[in-house]
Amino acid sequence: MMKSTLKKLGLAVASIALMATTGAQAEEVKSPFEGKGMKIAHVRYLSQGDFPELYLSGVRAQAEALGLELDVYDARQDAAIQRSQLEQAIMKGYDGIILQHGFTDSLKDLADMAVQNGIKVVAFDVNADNPEIPQINQDDHLIARMSLEQAIKDNGNAWKAAYVYVPGIPPLDRRDEVFTELKEKFPGIEEVARFGTLNNPIPNQIADQAAAVFRANPDITVAFSPYDEFAKGIKIAVDEAGLSSSVKIYSADISNSDIQAMREPGSAWVATTATNPAIMGQVSVRALAYLMNGENPGSQVTVPPVLITQEMLNALDIKNMNDLVAKVASFSTSDTLTPDWMPLP
Amino acid sequence: MGIQSDSIEISGIKKSFGTNTVLHDISLTVSGGEVLALMGANGAGKSTLVKILSGVYQADGGSISVNGQTSIIDTPQQARESGIVTVHQIINDGVVQDLTIAENLILDQLCDGRFPAFVNKGKLHERAAEVAKTIGLDLPLDTKVAELSQADKQLVAIARALSVKPRLLILDEPTSSLSEREALRLFDAVEQMRDQGVAIIYISHRMSDIRRLADRIAALREGRIVGLFEKPLDYDGAVHSMLGHAVGEVMHDYQSGEASRVVFRQVQLAEGSKPFDLDLKTGQIVALTGLLSSGCASVVESLFGMHEFASGTVMLDGAEWRAASPNQAIKDGVYMVQEDRGNNAIIPDFSIENNTSLPFLKSFSWLSFINRDREKARVKEVIDLTKVKYTDPTAEMSTLSGGNQQKVMVARWMLEECRVLLLNEPFQGVDISSRRQIGKLLRETAKDRVTIAVCTDVEEALEIADRIIVFNHNNLVGDHRIDQIDMPTLIKQIAAAPDADFTALSSSKTQETDIHA
Amino acid sequence: MTNFRDHAIKYGLLVLLATMIVFFSIAQPAFLSMINVFIILQSVSIVAILALGVTATLAVNGFDLSIGSTAAFSMMMASYVMIVFDGGTTAAILTALGVGVLVGLVNGFMTVQMRVPDLLATLGMMFLLLGLQLIPTQGRSIAAGMSLSGGETAPGKFTEAFLFLGRARLFDIIPVPVVIMLVLAVITYLFLERTRHGRVMYAIGSNERAAHLAGARVKFYRYVAYVMSGVYASIGGILLAARIGRGDVSSGNSLLMDGVAAALIGFAVLGAARPNAQGSAIGALLVGVLLNGLTMMNTPYYTQDFIKGLVLVAALMFTFGLSKKRG
Repeated sequence: MMKSTLKKLGLAVASIALMATTGAQAEEVKSPFEGKGMKIAHVRYLSQGDFPELYLSGVRAQAEALGLELDVYDARQDAAIQRSQLEQAIMKGYDGIILQHGFTDSLKDLADMAVQNGIKVVAFDVNADNPEIPQINQDDHLIARMSLEQAIKDNGNAWKAAYVYVPGIPPLDRRDEVFTELKEKFPGIEEVARFGTLNNPIPNQIADQAAAVFRANPDITVAFSPYDEFAKGIKIAVDEAGLSSSVKIYSADISNSDIQAMREPGSAWVATTATNPAIMGQVSVRALAYLMNGENPGSQVTVPPVLITQEMLNALDIKNMNDLVAKVASFSTSDTLTPDWMPLP
Repeated sequence: MGIQSDSIEISGIKKSFGTNTVLHDISLTVSGGEVLALMGANGAGKSTLVKILSGVYQADGGSISVNGQTSIIDTPQQARESGIVTVHQIINDGVVQDLTIAENLILDQLCDGRFPAFVNKGKLHERAAEVAKTIGLDLPLDTKVAELSQADKQLVAIARALSVKPRLLILDEPTSSLSEREALRLFDAVEQMRDQGVAIIYISHRMSDIRRLADRIAALREGRIVGLFEKPLDYDGAVHSMLGHAVGEVMHDYQSGEASRVVFRQVQLAEGSKPFDLDLKTGQIVALTGLLSSGCASVVESLFGMHEFASGTVMLDGAEWRAASPNQAIKDGVYMVQEDRGNNAIIPDFSIENNTSLPFLKSFSWLSFINRDREKARVKEVIDLTKVKYTDPTAEMSTLSGGNQQKVMVARWMLEECRVLLLNEPFQGVDISSRRQIGKLLRETAKDRVTIAVCTDVEEALEIADRIIVFNHNNLVGDHRIDQIDMPTLIKQIAAAPDADFTALSSSKTQETDIHA
Repeated sequence: MTNFRDHAIKYGLLVLLATMIVFFSIAQPAFLSMINVFIILQSVSIVAILALGVTATLAVNGFDLSIGSTAAFSMMMASYVMIVFDGGTTAAILTALGVGVLVGLVNGFMTVQMRVPDLLATLGMMFLLLGLQLIPTQGRSIAAGMSLSGGETAPGKFTEAFLFLGRARLFDIIPVPVVIMLVLAVITYLFLERTRHGRVMYAIGSNERAAHLAGARVKFYRYVAYVMSGVYASIGGILLAARIGRGDVSSGNSLLMDGVAAALIGFAVLGAARPNAQGSAIGALLVGVLLNGLTMMNTPYYTQDFIKGLVLVAALMFTFGLSKKRG
C-alpha cells in the first residue's frame, strides 16, 4: 500500500517536472496568427456550472497563446438563443467559431452556412453533422473502461453491481456500451439493480432510489454510476444506510464537490475517471487553429481521460480542482494536437 | 357607564366645492339620550355633513361645540377625541374581516399601544367582553368576523365604535344592507345606547326605521335644514319637506299615450310582496317614485335583464317577453340610462364619441370593421340633439361637466329606434339647466316609445312625467295622472309604513289601472 | 413645458429606439446590415407574437401568465406528434393550435365561471403546463431518433415543411417567422383598433360593468381574449419547435417574461397608456434591438438582463407616472 502510494507520488513529481519543460518550450514558439488580428467566437450552450467555466478558461488560455481575439456568446441553456447567436456570429464575420454543446437539429443548417461562408468551425460535444467540422469529444468509452477496470482491479471479476443509467443521453449511452461489453466478458459480474432519473435535484432523487435498491439487495458491493451527479446520490444513500465499508462507488467526471465527497473519511466513492474541461477547451481551440492554418485535425478529436482514485487524492492531499491541476500532470496538460508550430498556454 | 347628559351643538356649518355650495347654513342641536333622525334625498348634503362631523372634510364656516365648548375637528382623530364616532354605510370599512370578534372589538386599543406586543388571549377576551356588553352583543368572541351575518358585522362595527365611549354616535344608513330581522337587533342596540345617554344622529331613508327610533326629525334639502320636527312626529310632513313641495309646478300638458306596449301581469318584485298589474303606453312618460329600496329600481333593472322579477309575466307589444341579459334587452329595443354613471355607464378610457357609439357599434360596422366616418357623423347628430356642450368629440369624458356627461349617456340611446327607454335616477349629479334640457328632450322624443324613469325626488318626477307610480317596500301603492295629482296622497303613499291600508289612500278617480293589493 | 411633457410621453420610446439604433450602428457597423436587421426581427418574432396575445388579455383587463408555458407545451406536443407518432406537418400544427385553444378555454373558464382572479388562474395554468409538457417523455427532450421508454427508436422526424416555418427565408432574406409575426401584428392591430369586437374588448377592460350594461357580452369576450392569447402562444411554440428542430424542455423559459415586458413597454408607445398591438410589437423590437446591439458589443448576459429591466421600468414610469393628469 505504502509502496504504491510512493510510486505514484514519484510519478506525479516527474510529470510536474515534465510540464515545466514543455511550458518553457512553449514560449519560444511563435503563433502563425500573431499580429494578423484574427477573431474567433465561442458560442456556448452551457453557461452555468463548473464545467463551462473551466472549459472557457482553457479556450481563453489557448486563444491568447495563439494571439487570437476571442468573443464569447452565452446561450444560457436555450437552444433558440444559441441559434440566434450563431447566426449573429456568422453575420459578424469571424475567422473561426467554436460551438460548445447544443443540438444537431438546431445547429446543423447554420453550421453548414458558416462553412460555406469560409468560416472555420469546430464543435465540442455536439455533432454538427458536417465532414468539415471536426468534433471534439472526451473519450466516453475510455472513461467507462478505466473506471470499470479499476473496479475489477479492486474487487476481482465477480461481483454484484448497482447500475445508474438513463437512456437517451449520448455520453451515457456510450458509457453504457462499455459496461454491456464488460458484463459479457465477465459473466461473474452481475447487474442486480438498474435505476436512474434526471429529475432535479438529481443527487437527492437518486439517493431515494438507491436507498430502496440497497435495502432490497444487501449483497451489492459495487455501484457503477457513469455520471458524477448520480454518484453523489448513491453516496448519500450508502452513508445513510451505513454501508460505506461494504459498497464501493465507481463514477465518471470530477468537480470540486466530488473531490470533497471522495475524500471524506471512509468514503465509499473510491474512483472516478475524468477529462479536465480546461484541456478540452484548449484542444478545441487547437483544432480550430489547425483548420485556420490549412491543416486537418481529423474529424474526431478525442481527449484521453485520467483515472482519479481516492487513494491518490489523499496521498497528494488534493482538496479541489486547482490542486488536481497543479499536482496531477496528466490531468493538467495533454499532448493532443501539439505540433511544433503550436504555441501552448 | 353612568348617564351622560351631553349637548352637541352644530351651528352655521357651510361647505362649498368650487362654485357649488353643498351646505348653506346647517344648525342642529342633539342631546345625550335622544335619537335625531336626519332625512334627505340623494344630493341633499347628508354625506358632506357626516364627513365634516367625522373630520374627513373641513367646514368653510360654522362651529361644533360639545357642552358649550367649541371643538376643532380637522381630522378623524380629533373627531374621536371630541367623542364623535361615525359608523359608515359600508360596514366592511368598519371591521377587519380576518380577525375574530374579540380582536375587532379592541382593535383600537391594540393599535394605539395600550396592549403589550404579545397579547394574552385571556386578557384580550376579558376586555373584549366588556366592550361587547355595552350593546348586548352576545356572540362567541372567537368567531371570525368574515363568518358573521351582515347585521352581526354591523353590530360589531358599532360595538367597536362604542368601545371609545362616544358622546355623539352617527349612524349612516345602518340598515341599508340588513334584512328586517337583522334590523330589529340593530334597533335594540341603538335604543340601549340611547338609554345609556349617548346622543345619536340616525341617517336613513327608511320610514320604518324612523318611526321606530326617532325622537326628533331634521329634514335636509339642497344643503339647508328645511324642517325640524319634535314629538308628536309628523312623518308625512317630514317626507314632504325632504322631497320638496312642487304642487302646481307642472309645466307640461298631460299625454294620455297611444298603444299599450309594456304590460305587467301579476308581477311580484320580491318574495311576499303584493303582485301588481300595469299597462304602459307609448308616448307617455312614466315616473316611478318611492324612497330608497322601495322597489322602483327593481322594476327597471328587471326589465333590462339585470335581475328577474320574483314572479309574474311582462308582455312587450302583445307577446310574453323577458330579457335574460342587458344584451338581449338592447337587441329587443329596450334601452336603459343607468344610475351612478361613473360606475355603470361611462367607459373612462374612451372618448366622448366612442362612449356614445358603444351599444350600437354594429350599425356602423361592415364585417365587424367600424366605419369611422359614419360613426362620427351619427354621433355628432345625437350629441347635438341632446345639446352636449363639447369642443372636441375625441376628448375624454372627464373633460365634460356632470350634466353634459349625462346628456352623452342619453344620446347613446338615441342612436337607434327605441321601444322602451328606461332611466334610473337620470338627474343624479346633473345641474339644473342640463336637467331641464334632458327633461325637455325626453318629452319631445317620447312619441313612439314607452319611457319609464325612476326618480326618488318627486320634483324631478313632476317635471318630466305624465304619470307617477309610487312604490313602497316593493309594493305598488299609488298611480297618479300628472294633471290631477293630489300631493298629500302622493306623499302619504311614499312615506307610509309598509303595512298601511292603501286602498283608502289612492286617489282612485285618476287611476288608469287597478291596483291589485 | 406641458407641451414638452406631452411630446416626451408620446415619442419618448421611439426616440429611445432611434437613439439606440444610431448608437449601435456607430459602435458596430455590421449592426445596420440588412442581414442583421432580419436577425433582430427573427430573434424578436416569437416574443412579439406572445406579446400580441397577452395584449388581447390585457385589453379586457385580464392577464395571461401562462403564455410562456403554453408555447413550450405546444412546442412539445408538435414535436411529439411529429417524432413519436410520425404524424406529419399538418397534424403537428393542428395539435399545437388545439393546445392553444384548449388552454385559452380553460383559462377563460377559470376566470369567468370560477371567478378565480386572472393572475392566479393563469399562474396555476403555468405550473400545470410546465409539468404536463414533461409527462409524455418522462422529462426528456424530443429529438429525431430518440429512444422511447419501451426501448425502441422513435419513427418520425421533423419534416422539411415544418422546419420551413422556423428557418426558411423568403427571397433569401426575410425569415418566415418574421413574416408570420408581421401578419399577426397587422391582424391584431386591425382587430383591436378597427373592429367593433376590439372596441368592445377595450370597453370591458376600462369599465366592465358599464360595458355589460351597454350590452357587451363580457363573458364571451373574456373567453375570446384568452383563446386568442392561447392560440398566439401556440403559434409561438410551433415556430420555436421549427426553429430549433426539436422539442427542447428548457426552451421557452424566458418567453413569458420577455413577452409580458414587450406588451407593457407597448403601453408607452405613442402615449397610448393602454395595451395595444402596435405598441407590443414595437416593445418587442425595442428589446430585440437592445439585446442584439449589446451582444454585438459583447456585453455579458447579466448586464443585458439588467438593462432590459431598466427599459421596462422606465417605460412603465412613462405610462403610469407622466401620462396621468394629477390633481
